[in-house]
Amino acid sequence: MNLGNLFSGPDMASGLMPEWILVLGIIAMIVVPNIGNATFRLPIPGKSWRIPYLIGGKRFALTGDPRLPKAIAAFTLFASFITALLSQIIDSGVGVAETCIAIAEGSVEVGSNWCGKDATVLKVDAFSRLMEMIFTAALLLAVLANWDRLPATAVNRIPTKKQHDEGVESRRLHRLLNNRRQVDFSLLILMVALGMSTVALSTNLFMLFVGLELASMASYVLISFNKETEVGPEAGVKYFIVGSVASAVGLYGLSMLYIWNGDLSISSLASAWAAGPNGMAIIGLGMMLVAFGFKVSAVPFHFAAPDAYAGASSPVAGVLSTASKGMGFVALMRVLIGVTLIDGGSEWTILIGAVAAVTMTWGNIAALGSRNPKRMLAYSSVAHAGYMLAGIAAIGALGPGDGSQLIATALIFHLVVLVAFKLGAFLVISLLECDNDRGNQLEHYYGLARRDPLIAISMMVFMLALAGVPPLSGFLSKLMMVSGIISSTVGDVSGATLSDAMGSLSWVFWLAILIFINSAISLFYYLRICVVMFFEETDRMAVPRASMIRITIMLCTMGAVVFGFGPLADVLALAANDAALALFG
Amino acid sequence: MGGHSKAEWNLLLPVLAMVSFPGIRMFMGFEAIESAFLIVAVPLLIFPAILIIGQMNKGEDWWKDQLKEGGIVALAGLMITLSLTVWLIVEFLVHHADFGAQGIILDWIHFEVLGANGEWVTSTLSFGLWIDSVSLTVLFVAAFLCFLICWFAIGYMTTDHQNEDRNHRFFAEFVLFSMGMFGMVLADSFLWLFIFWEIMGLCSYLLIGFYWEKPSAAAAAKKAFLTTRVGDVFLMVGLFMLYDLYHSLEFAVIFGDPTLGGTIQGSDLQWPLILMFIGCVGKSAQFPLHVWLPDAMEGPTPVSALIHAATMVNAGLYLVARMFPIFSEASFEGALSDVAMLIAWIGGITAFMAAFIAFVANDIKRVLAYSTMSQLAYIFTGLGAACWFANEGYEKYAILAFGAALFHLFNHAMAKAMLFMSSGSVIHEMHHAHEHAHGDGDEGDHHHFDPQDMRNMGGLASKMPVTSTAMMLGSMSIIGIPLIGGFWSKEGIVGQAWNVYLKGGEMILFPALLVLATAGMTGFYMSRMWFMTFAGAPKTEVVDHVHEDTQWIKTPLITLSIVTAFSGFILACGHFVKWLAKPDDAHFMTDLLKHPVDAILYELEHAFLPEDNTLKVVGWTAILLSSCLGPFIAARLHGGKLKEGEVATPMVGWLVNLSGKAGKTDVSELAEGGFATALHNRLYIDDAYEWMISKTLLPLANISAWIDKNWVDGVIKGIERGSQWISTWLRQFTTGRASDYLLMTAIGMLIFVGILWGVI
Repeated sequence: MNLGNLFSGPDMASGLMPEWILVLGIIAMIVVPNIGNATFRLPIPGKSWRIPYLIGGKRFALTGDPRLPKAIAAFTLFASFITALLSQIIDSGVGVAETCIAIAEGSVEVGSNWCGKDATVLKVDAFSRLMEMIFTAALLLAVLANWDRLPATAVNRIPTKKQHDEGVESRRLHRLLNNRRQVDFSLLILMVALGMSTVALSTNLFMLFVGLELASMASYVLISFNKETEVGPEAGVKYFIVGSVASAVGLYGLSMLYIWNGDLSISSLASAWAAGPNGMAIIGLGMMLVAFGFKVSAVPFHFAAPDAYAGASSPVAGVLSTASKGMGFVALMRVLIGVTLIDGGSEWTILIGAVAAVTMTWGNIAALGSRNPKRMLAYSSVAHAGYMLAGIAAIGALGPGDGSQLIATALIFHLVVLVAFKLGAFLVISLLECDNDRGNQLEHYYGLARRDPLIAISMMVFMLALAGVPPLSGFLSKLMMVSGIISSTVGDVSGATLSDAMGSLSWVFWLAILIFINSAISLFYYLRICVVMFFEETDRMAVPRASMIRITIMLCTMGAVVFGFGPLADVLALAANDAALALFG
Repeated sequence: MGGHSKAEWNLLLPVLAMVSFPGIRMFMGFEAIESAFLIVAVPLLIFPAILIIGQMNKGEDWWKDQLKEGGIVALAGLMITLSLTVWLIVEFLVHHADFGAQGIILDWIHFEVLGANGEWVTSTLSFGLWIDSVSLTVLFVAAFLCFLICWFAIGYMTTDHQNEDRNHRFFAEFVLFSMGMFGMVLADSFLWLFIFWEIMGLCSYLLIGFYWEKPSAAAAAKKAFLTTRVGDVFLMVGLFMLYDLYHSLEFAVIFGDPTLGGTIQGSDLQWPLILMFIGCVGKSAQFPLHVWLPDAMEGPTPVSALIHAATMVNAGLYLVARMFPIFSEASFEGALSDVAMLIAWIGGITAFMAAFIAFVANDIKRVLAYSTMSQLAYIFTGLGAACWFANEGYEKYAILAFGAALFHLFNHAMAKAMLFMSSGSVIHEMHHAHEHAHGDGDEGDHHHFDPQDMRNMGGLASKMPVTSTAMMLGSMSIIGIPLIGGFWSKEGIVGQAWNVYLKGGEMILFPALLVLATAGMTGFYMSRMWFMTFAGAPKTEVVDHVHEDTQWIKTPLITLSIVTAFSGFILACGHFVKWLAKPDDAHFMTDLLKHPVDAILYELEHAFLPEDNTLKVVGWTAILLSSCLGPFIAARLHGGKLKEGEVATPMVGWLVNLSGKAGKTDVSELAEGGFATALHNRLYIDDAYEWMISKTLLPLANISAWIDKNWVDGVIKGIERGSQWISTWLRQFTTGRASDYLLMTAIGMLIFVGILWGVI
């Protein structure tokens, strides 16, 4: 058997290998930390024969270790990531590996011959695999950053065995030491991963919605995981309320689509849409866009996002602004590109374009005045959503074709590198928070370059990458997007004079100009962080050691740099191009 | 120094080990051409290394004693580049190949530009190498001299306690400067050439202002930077125009077909070339942008050597030489001869003017500075003649003139680097002798004594045998004493300039006359400098305390003495001149090795007895003026025997004695006349510029400063305040209440559905 078939073969086991690993990890997460010396006394009078059944009782040293759940989660995510990666880079002998899982006449069918048929619910291809890699990588980094921290507060380290035995730590810590708390955190992370992977794979809107909700529900809990703090639960509940309303609206829209078409598979919807949607379908689409708009924090559904980011622990906020946002964009692309994209201008183009313009401007201007770096990053994340929405609007205006594929490539590329520099920035905040929660004021960054040059330089790299300064990766994605928009809109410009030519420009062109203007505005608040790090004086002492967070920060820094230019950037751009091809089918 | 110097020599061991670098690359299976990018990359890496390590460790013993505050690191890096350069040259010679464009080393971005005709043109930002005989020659000059000057600088800079703890800055900038030159020479497009050109501009600013606490040094740095900037703006505009014509700045495109498929006329190129030439005028300190160069002597002496011999001033020459293929394009015949004539005119005027000012300069370094200007002007004249010939279709003469000009670049660079280092040696030892004689503490006295003023010297020939010998050979090369160094190339330049006249370029008569006269003037001012410094009786008692004992200083001088004395002869007889323009069929060196006598006789005949009778007269006039009349007058004015009991080494003793026999003339009346005062004031050109700037630019600058402060800053501050206000206003929608958020969501939903509904 070919090695490649192991990861992307035409059967259930290998085709969904990353997901199976996640499921196994979830089961292990539930079972393993509960293994103890529990026994069952046989009900024989006079005898005290006990049969050990191991679930419960006093747990063993290994299974009671508070690091164990994180280890299981990290291992599971890593294995899932690697299998997704291998399935793409090992040649399985059948060209681009595509496997589809369909439900036909009550039975589950697997095979590439099902691709494109209405019965298909899950599709494994370059696009879904790349997205899985983004999601698992972001979650893996978040888990690693939390490796030896208590998830409740970033401040507290997990006590060592010795400290534990000596009872040095307080009672509160002792209670938290209970690895159940760790299990909760890690389990939720794995749930998020499973939900996101499902979203990436699904070609049926119902399946997509199930995955979306699975990931969302888990992330609501993750946001309010800091239940001891004041802001944590409030942020989580707010996010949950707004999010659930948005989901309800989306589900309502989904049901309208179902009434209209009678089938929610993307291929069926697409052919029906091409024949011409009726009013109900249009309203259904609009309502679904509300749900997805909330996921990508587009204006006016973004309001809960800054609160949520500020309340959540920083790695979780990082996941929200990268993987979770990526999931929202996958859903958007599935619906907008997969279903409703038609030649000569799709119906939603104006809507998405307007939302993009408002979103990027609002995000950037709101970020200007934020003195809390976490909120600033939240608004910057809103602004980035605006840039990507502008890309989608351009795709809508252009219709299917090479230009659209280029822009989709840029979007996918951006989602990948976002994990490096957005999450990295949140991890730097997380590192500073280890010192008594000091990371949520601009003053806490004063003189960081003197206190810890390496971290300050990393933060500067993240900020410059977010702003899109060459040669960092943020620049490349923005360049690809803007040049894609401009070259495909200017391509059909005609007119004798300049003003004629300007007049004949598609309005999408001005979205690209707006991206330029917004990038210039955003430089202000990104560079402000750099300025205070390098030029302000402070009497604070060294930054906490927190080695695991440092390692993850360094990984992110490398990612932000190596994907900017050079061979790895080429590899990633090619992978993104493959994914875009798969997306357009 | 004795035992101490042995420890010092041991520091060179790691530097010598670097010679094996090309060998290692070869062993790894790389070709020379594949390693050529390292010539740029290695100094680029060493620059930050010295700067950062030096900043962190300054004052530490190991940094000061073992690494000479970074000097050893810089020297090792330059050793690598030098050995790579030699490897490259050997490969080039062995394969007799025109390497040409060497493909792309760094391919970064492709972008599209809207052309004037409304079409999109793809452009790239990529860096590649361009290697031919010209770039190799200039590269060798730069690499070889940078290495030796760095060696010299270790002795010169680290023994002066006023430089302590900041020499790492010097060496780091030194290496960056060298990198700029290497990169500029190797670049395969005008864009990268310009980028490295500007890196050099920055470094010249930093190094000339090395003693930034001295107001005169700071002013000189600013002057050099701003003056060259004037030229660079023109150069940039010229490059824009060139890009507009060719849609590319790559040599391969422009030189591959200068007509671009017949779409470009010669007259289109006239203005781009003139503007680019103005950039060269600024960089190579030619009239009227020469004013920065004499002031640039405020930098440490190794910097003078670096800027005026090895790197920066050659950049302008190199750029003109790069334009040569455009001139030789057959279909442009006659269209660009005016540009060539302009180059020759600027050269002739500068050569004459600089030599005149050098007559009265008393600062030993300033004499050399003016001499640099004058000699560079020779090269420009030669290049102008070459371009004229090329454009008028006289290929044979174009090759001779082009080769002679670049040959003079080589000879001048070698001699001038040595002269600057010798002057540095003199200044260094005079300074130490003065401190020794008068004690260190006496600050007031310290300022009165100028160790660079030749009127304080005299009779140093017996005190500084190595330096005086080196300086004698260097001066001879610059003067053009037959058979030594610059003679070969200068004869060629003067001869070809006159040849242009004979071939119908009447316009060149004036510069041709000027360069001929300058040949004699060069003989005078160079001899004057040597006699004032080394011959005659000592003019101050400081001279008695002078010793020549800093080891690091002597070695480069000896090396360059040998090179200067013999390289001109050997290269000339090896058909170097032809090889520069046509490397393929020049039989470079091979003829000399196979038939030495024939080759030598051939070149001697061409140098001394050209076929044309007019040229014969011109040649012999130049020889007579420069090697007899000029030195003779100088000897009468400033020569003389040494003090009783002082004996110079035989190498220079004969010259001292000869100068004693020339007799005496008193010219003090002439030296105090109005004309001499005008020369002392550099013909009032600087003053005129200053007056013009104070009447025009400064009021304008004041007005724009006012506008900037009140309007521009006002607008910026307004934008800032406004955006902060908008930001605050926007964020008040984020109330923190979930009910408000739900309201917003509901409104958003209605808007969404409404927009979508409205579209159908």
